Amino acid sequence: MADEQRVLERERSAVDEAWRGLDENARLPAAAPPKTVPAEPLVPVPGQQIRAVGQRATRPDSRYHGLGQTRYIDDLALPGMLHAKIKRAGIASARIKRIDTSAAESMPGVMAVVIGREFPVNSFGPTFQDQPVLADEVVRHAGDGVAAVAAVTEQIATAALEKIVVDYEPLPAVFDPLDAMREDAPKVHPPKGNICHSLAIRRGDVAKGFAQSDHIFEGRFTSQMVEHVSIEPHAAIAAWDANGRLTVWATIGRITLARADLARTLRLPMNRIRLIGTIVGGNFGGKNEISQEPALALLSKKAGRPVKGVFTRGEEFIASTVRHPFIMDYKTGVTKDGRILARTARLVLDGGAYCSWSETTLGKCCVLAPGPYKIDNVRSEAIVVYTNKTVAGAMRGFGAPQVCFAYESHMDDIATALGIDPLAIRLRNAFEEGSPSPTGQVLQSVVVKETLLKAAERFGWEVRS
Amino acid sequence: MKRRGRGMACMWYPIGFTVAANPSAAVVKMNEDGTAVVLTGTVETGQGSLAVLGQIAAEALGIATDDVHLVSADTDATPMDCGAIASRTTYVTGNAIRLAAEDAKSVLFEVAAQVLGVAASQLEARDRTIQVKGFPRCSVPIGEICKRAQITLGRPPIGSASWNPPTVALDPESGQGKPFSTYVYATQIAEVEVDDETGEVEVLRIAAAHDCGTPINPMLVEGQIEGGISMGIGFALQEEILFDGAGRQINPNLTNYIVPTALDMPEIDVDIVQNYDPTGPFGAKGVGEPSLVPTAPAILNAIRDAVGVRITSLPATAEKVLAAIKAKRGDERKQIPA
Repeated sequence: MADEQRVLERERSAVDEAWRGLDENARLPAAAPPKTVPAEPLVPVPGQQIRAVGQRATRPDSRYHGLGQTRYIDDLALPGMLHAKIKRAGIASARIKRIDTSAAESMPGVMAVVIGREFPVNSFGPTFQDQPVLADEVVRHAGDGVAAVAAVTEQIATAALEKIVVDYEPLPAVFDPLDAMREDAPKVHPPKGNICHSLAIRRGDVAKGFAQSDHIFEGRFTSQMVEHVSIEPHAAIAAWDANGRLTVWATIGRITLARADLARTLRLPMNRIRLIGTIVGGNFGGKNEISQEPALALLSKKAGRPVKGVFTRGEEFIASTVRHPFIMDYKTGVTKDGRILARTARLVLDGGAYCSWSETTLGKCCVLAPGPYKIDNVRSEAIVVYTNKTVAGAMRGFGAPQVCFAYESHMDDIATALGIDPLAIRLRNAFEEGSPSPTGQVLQSVVVKETLLKAAERFGWEVRS
Repeated sequence: MKRRGRGMACMWYPIGFTVAANPSAAVVKMNEDGTAVVLTGTVETGQGSLAVLGQIAAEALGIATDDVHLVSADTDATPMDCGAIASRTTYVTGNAIRLAAEDAKSVLFEVAAQVLGVAASQLEARDRTIQVKGFPRCSVPIGEICKRAQITLGRPPIGSASWNPPTVALDPESGQGKPFSTYVYATQIAEVEVDDETGEVEVLRIAAAHDCGTPINPMLVEGQIEGGISMGIGFALQEEILFDGAGRQINPNLTNYIVPTALDMPEIDVDIVQNYDPTGPFGAKGVGEPSLVPTAPAILNAIRDAVGVRITSLPATAEKVLAAIKAKRGDERKQIPA
């Protein structure tokens, strides 16, 4: 009897052990509280002397990331929260004749539907407010949203999009930026022409510079459209309180501007909007302005419940902003020994359907286009044009990676033709402390040559004979 | 046959917005024990900006990085900021936080001046104390000063400030002006291997020498450069959104739009070039965007060095490189006299 009991006891405790082990193992990292708190400060504090600048200090968020404790928007839920989806036009240029949302609205589980004309002000944009939150009259690119749905589940919201009927009258479209510049091209924003913005920088006399040059080199370079591909897609939650105050949690890198845009589109005083920037899972310029937030706010108001929206990966490509494709014509006059006497750069930027950050991109690339070189005679001209394509906006570098590709490829072509080492030709022309920039600015803390020499040293660059 | 080549590219890049004002504001609140809370409207977007901003506050207050906590990105609680854009956070928000810390410190100095019996101008904050310059023994723990300021004198040490990079508008005719307060510089050199039978390009290693002014946190500077290079490789060789004839994207997914992964990363050798910009917080400028700028041309120049073809349209996909190699061979064959 006693033996039996002992066996039973042992078996029971073995099962308990196993369960305990399972429980430990079954814990998902995202749900597990940290088992220890750091006893020591995360950053070594050496004795009395404290120098904070220059330390390889641990980031305050590294433990959260390492332990899977970081809460992104997709990890957040509010009681009664609904899920939103946006119907995309799928046609690049069209007039909207009719939107019928009745079948979607009558679906069980659908709590609210909004269309463009319900917004107090249906436009936004950092420079020109030419982009609708949801297109109401005209679709200007295939990723334009035309209606938004909030439902109790994401699946129902997605299914409801299929029930929304939109009648389009196709309009002529233009996709090539050089075609878009022609007088007879279809206008993306009629009656305005397709030239969204232009800028020119002139210094010295390029004609004289070319006349004095021993050699003149020309080249055309083009770059493609790319996406930011942040791991976390655009995501936001909107919720109203009993005082009519709106709180929006959003993956946005510029909360001050985003609140101003929300206040404008919803016609709300700013003190009735609280915008909380959550931990952003990658921005790279793609999350610098509002996108779906006004739609979520309106859906939430109509449904009387919090509403979350998370872009699909497909929407990240078609409905968020992308990097401007460039067409770049360079012409450079040099002396026999590779000194640049004159350079012209003509840039055409494909801005897509709306202005977004095109003006900023234009300004930066136009200033930077001649490269980090002392050139007395410079002309840099840049034009950004509207096309019926995905909206080009802010992306890490604002046009600089495109022009750097052109001026540095061009530089190597010149070096090869003249038989000069690529390092030597750059050292011969690079900015120095106090050099004037193409806009006539006296540059300070200039270390182009130092970076050239350091990189060459690290790489083991040897001059080939 | 696999052929190796090398290519370099250098660049310049501005910090902050083009001409347009882009201020940041900040608030620094000292606690009774000498630790601090910083309020900033910028957003941590994964780059580690809160660590850098905390280090700037700590340096200005003479306390440890761990003594600073940052509250960020809430329009109800934090002061205005133009945000995590244009490589401006360290430079602009950093300057605002440095000035806000100086503002809070001026209260501490007033209080400490009474305790130590010297003029406030004779004091400095370091090693978690307020001390007489050059006389570290003549010091009071910063916590005591904070407590005294708040509890005895009723003057809580709170500082606030804003900063905007100075610019001059561009002349509408000539484009002359001062569009940016400061710029950073960099050079990257790539070594690649090109398979001349398939056109495939592998980036073997990149040496990257970057100027960011004073590196506030060298580890995070290196992180930015490594991340930028990965983005630059995608821009140079792989990524491209393609459209059908009707203006619809045909590859809006990660199966047909290929971004670089860890397996595509080359060996990276980072050099942070010594520099100091007097207009930046403790000499710092920025590094976020520039890290990607010279990567693509360095790779494209290396392709030319390896197989002698100049690809003038990005990205340099295997198909494009192979077609260029074949065209070049065709040209060379034609040159043989009959």
